[in-house]
Amino acid sequence: MALSNIEITTLADVHKESEPQDILKLALESYDNIAISFSGAEDVVLIDLAARIGKDVRVFTLDTGRLHPETYAYLEQVRERYDVAIEVASPDHNELEPFLAEKGMFSFFEDGHKECCSIRKVGPLRRKLATLDAWITGQRHDQSNTRTDVPVVQVDPAFSSEANSLVKFNPIANWSSQQVWDYIRENEVPYNPLHAKGFDSIGCEPCTRPILPNQHEREGRWWWEDAKEKECGLHSGNLNK
Amino acid sequence: MHITMVKKIKEDGQPCRKCNDVMGKLERTGQIASIDHIIYADERDPSSEGLHLARHHNVELAPFFIVRDSDGEEKVYTSYLKLVREVLNGKVTQREELMELTERVGSLDYI
Repeated sequence: MALSNIEITTLADVHKESEPQDILKLALESYDNIAISFSGAEDVVLIDLAARIGKDVRVFTLDTGRLHPETYAYLEQVRERYDVAIEVASPDHNELEPFLAEKGMFSFFEDGHKECCSIRKVGPLRRKLATLDAWITGQRHDQSNTRTDVPVVQVDPAFSSEANSLVKFNPIANWSSQQVWDYIRENEVPYNPLHAKGFDSIGCEPCTRPILPNQHEREGRWWWEDAKEKECGLHSGNLNK
Repeated sequence: MHITMVKKIKEDGQPCRKCNDVMGKLERTGQIASIDHIIYADERDPSSEGLHLARHHNVELAPFFIVRDSDGEEKVYTSYLKLVREVLNGKVTQREELMELTERVGSLDYI
């Protein structure tokens, strides 16, 4: 059963305060061609919640080629624990090899991370999502200021095409980091050992570092970049004047 | 057809990096010859013409382009690559597409 855009908007409103398990159940009952996106971090709760619902669910991850050894080992741990075949999406060598030949292995320290991310993460993600009708993410409001308005279900604003709407479920959008970790501990869910070493947000090895207590998790990513330089927005304060 | 480009000037008086990137591409490809008019959205001046146009067209990203056809109809492009494909009849590589997608969709930053 595919949902229309209007139904999705309505569902987002109806379920805006629903429990993650109910949103996940709705997602899995609404779409057959659907998969969980698993980053190898605390979004493992989605896999655990799905296992408790009892429906078979597909899981995919993005292997950028630059993940920590701990993350690769953890992906295997999750595969075995939940008896789930984790589908791996890798960078397109036609994009990656010329990029590396031109700019080397650490260009992100010189001219920003986005070009590398676009090839190693966004490209594989787009290719994977083109095969699906819907996907499930672990995006949460408290992760960054780019996610504060993420609804629990939406027509994917980035990967939908004019011909096909891709639906994106964000079951734990309303959960705080504390709630995620309470769930992990209470349910003895396996977690990436990097978390115990101070890594709150886990990405690629060169671009991720541990943070200190009370630092926001995003301070552990791309710390060498000037936040102001990343902006291309026209500030709403000016637009409203 | 008349194409207006709106560039952002930051509070420190410098053009924004994205606007510089797009300007560089327009110049390298010679597409700059198709841009009839460049206007600035100056963050230091809320009354600047570019900010006025951003408000009028409900645009929150820079740079953006206003394309007016021979009938006077206007269409706004916030994507440089879409402008290249649809208006300037240029070619866009997958690498350029992915880069623009990464830059413009904030929630992709932390996947």
